[in-house]
Amino acid sequence: MNRHGRQRLFKPETLAWFAMPPLLLQCLTLNWSAALTWPTYALLICALLKLWRCSKPFDRRLAALLQLLSAGLLASQLQGLLATILQLIAVSAAFAGLLGHELGGMLSVRALLRRSLQLLLAALPLALVLFLFVPRIAPLWTTELGPVRGAVTGLSSDLDPLSIERLATVNASAARVSVPDGEALPTTAYWRVLVHEQFDGRSWQHRDPPFSRQPYRGLLNESEISQWWVIEPSSTRAVPWDGRSKPAAKDQWVTSEGELMVGAASRQKRSFRLRKGTDAMRWQLRPPFDSERKHPPASLPRLKQLGARFRSLPTDQERLQAIERWFKNQPFRYSLNPGPITDLDNFLFENQVGFCGHYASAFAALMRSADVPARVVSGYLGGRQINPLTGSPYLELRQSDAHAWVEVWLEGTGWQQVDPTLWADRNAFDNGNQGQQRTKLTWSDRANWSPGRLGQWLQGQWWGLDMAWTRWWLGLNQSSQQNWLQALLGTQQKWLGLFVVLACTASLSLGLLMVQLRLGSHQPLEQSLRLLADFGVTPLPGDTFSDLCRRAAAAHPDRNQLLGAMAHHHQVLTHASLNSHQRREHLREWWRIQRELGSPS
Amino acid sequence: MAGSSSFPLTSPALSPLINAVGRVVLGKEQQVRLAFSCLLAGGHLLIEDRPGMGKSTLAEALARVFSLGFKRVSFTSDLLPADLTGINVFNTTEATFRFQPGPLFTQVLLADEINRASPRTQSALLEAMAAGRVSLDGISHDLPEPFFVIATQNSLDQVGTSPLPEAQLDRFLMRVSLGFPDRASEEELLRGSFSPAAATPPLLDGKSLKQLHHQCAAQHCSDELINYVLDLVAASRQGQGGLSPRASQALLAAARAWAMLSGRDYVIVEDVQSVLPAVVEHRLDAGRPAGSETPLSTKLLERVNALR
Repeated sequence: MNRHGRQRLFKPETLAWFAMPPLLLQCLTLNWSAALTWPTYALLICALLKLWRCSKPFDRRLAALLQLLSAGLLASQLQGLLATILQLIAVSAAFAGLLGHELGGMLSVRALLRRSLQLLLAALPLALVLFLFVPRIAPLWTTELGPVRGAVTGLSSDLDPLSIERLATVNASAARVSVPDGEALPTTAYWRVLVHEQFDGRSWQHRDPPFSRQPYRGLLNESEISQWWVIEPSSTRAVPWDGRSKPAAKDQWVTSEGELMVGAASRQKRSFRLRKGTDAMRWQLRPPFDSERKHPPASLPRLKQLGARFRSLPTDQERLQAIERWFKNQPFRYSLNPGPITDLDNFLFENQVGFCGHYASAFAALMRSADVPARVVSGYLGGRQINPLTGSPYLELRQSDAHAWVEVWLEGTGWQQVDPTLWADRNAFDNGNQGQQRTKLTWSDRANWSPGRLGQWLQGQWWGLDMAWTRWWLGLNQSSQQNWLQALLGTQQKWLGLFVVLACTASLSLGLLMVQLRLGSHQPLEQSLRLLADFGVTPLPGDTFSDLCRRAAAAHPDRNQLLGAMAHHHQVLTHASLNSHQRREHLREWWRIQRELGSPS
Repeated sequence: MAGSSSFPLTSPALSPLINAVGRVVLGKEQQVRLAFSCLLAGGHLLIEDRPGMGKSTLAEALARVFSLGFKRVSFTSDLLPADLTGINVFNTTEATFRFQPGPLFTQVLLADEINRASPRTQSALLEAMAAGRVSLDGISHDLPEPFFVIATQNSLDQVGTSPLPEAQLDRFLMRVSLGFPDRASEEELLRGSFSPAAATPPLLDGKSLKQLHHQCAAQHCSDELINYVLDLVAASRQGQGGLSPRASQALLAAARAWAMLSGRDYVIVEDVQSVLPAVVEHRLDAGRPAGSETPLSTKLLERVNALR
């Protein structure tokens, strides 16, 4: 009874509308500068308009087709767990709407949804075969058409390290990383993102690297993977990395400054993985450019004067140690609210209160005036380990983990990482709000949770699921597909085509069989309605089955008797009180009539 | 469905009765069958039409064919309740009051032009219809079994009528409108090839009618069918108004009787659809026929999925 009550709340055809919100929601997260975004929007708008003004059955079918196509396009662009779930919802709603129309509004909404899920299930074998066997093409769709615009919180090439404290209060997630099972998460690592090498006396600037891609080619072995990353949308293509790992896909490359670039559109959530790297990378040994040697301008006389004092020391190493000693002897204090600091002279010699941006900038400028090449790196420090109930632990980097440090060029060893913030007053540092409070959320101390903490915990769990999905999804990319095909068919793969065709046929027929079994046998009424639809009779509001049969008989007088008999058996089966024997008899007769009607006269 | 000329087979036991009444009221098989199912379901019947359309003839023929006691009261504006129920008369010899039953104490009461009577008299009649007995001076007198009221009423645009209130309309199982006869039937009428109502032969005795009542109540209703009735009732309740539970009971009872007339022992969706206009129309339009618009019952039927 409930079933029928619900049916009246909205018409089954209305179900098609339920596919629109998930699709539109996903569209909003698309990157406007990616090539495939525009066709997706166009298809979706067409579907919307078609659905708005649909009068003929053809319109409904077209609208459903457009919806399914745009869901497919979205699936090729957004592969996160949430996106996948939304796509699934959209597709099943679109299918249910289509079924609701095709079956003449005779099923309740719940039955329609169940039916559409069954259809999807029937399509699953074919989808799996295609997923596993058909060679993946390179991600053409991630090609960007133009520069990325729009404000996104996070590190960017416009963000000067001297104003990095703006991020300290931002509690948004920046990135998540997980490592192979059994390895410990590097919870105190420095994750570099951007290198700032141009200093004009007031601020440090990032120079966009020359376009020198040296993408990774070749097959990737599963055991080589060292990290899986999920990056929240940001305004730069540079992503956090440890400076040692190596690219593992064609759209990743390392610039000469040591920034890892990922070619995918940056205003979307990105996920990628990296290979293990042990030896020094090329960027670490690359001799400094002139811009990395340039002395600070004359607007900082005291800094230049102090730096010049260290020039007399013979080696870079000694100069570095001397400046470190000088820093440690000064009463520097760490604070995110240092008050007005007019310039670096003011910071170094008068105010002596600041945050990582000040320490890094001042130290790098000092090193330069002491004739040691130096530059400022912005990135993330530390992070928070989260152990979800569902999967392997991962490290979460928040925007408040943003940090700035220095790299100096030491003759013989290459670029060396130095963090001058560590030399500031330790006590003050520990009290500083640098996102260092590693309050672990664990299941065991759940009694102390507040609603906010519960929200955090739930988010952590969700991201754990998302991470697992990402690892699984990325794990089945082009190269590992090759590996697995090689294991199956040998290196030649000369039977691959035949194999794929056979597997497709098998899975397709399995799907069709499922459709037949699940959708066909238990619903004689539906089957008969489809049959009558072939006779050109579709239900009008308030029509009974006998009315339909009568109309069909009027249009096809030669089938008059069979149609009448079908109506009679339907009546008896549905409404009379029969024992099981009589029921079987009538059902048998009903099937016989159907077969006879289905066969050409 | 209503209006189609071909009728499903009639049950062999009941077809002589229908034919006998059909010879009195020519060309109105649909209305005759509805009237029959109303009586078989144990409900009261309201026949509404202009004067001279054969309302009283149909009522009289029905009463006679079931060989029931039959009385006719013409309702006028000065008719008093006591004129219907009867009065207590003082017996001078025994010095007691003796109840003198009125015309209400019959099996079939033909209440002619019920809407000409004052509301007070109408309500006295309707009380008897609902309870099956009459209370007078604190003593209740049971009415004979079975007790049917076949009321006729003129269309409301006639002068000097007081319309039945909704609550009283709800007591009538069906409202049937006869309508003009077709040309062929009227020709037969003019040529005199019909039998007068008074000459309708009694074909059934009171005992068999009781049996028919039991048989009617035992008709099988599948879950699907009951769901269909529930859906119809629920659909009527969207917006203002709607069908009462008594209406849904009436609908199912009438459908049972209709199925029995068709010679089936189970009820199908078409049975419900056939009786629906007669059963629900007067409950939905509150006594004011919609006129030339689409009947409310047709709209109601179109709102509920009947494919089951």
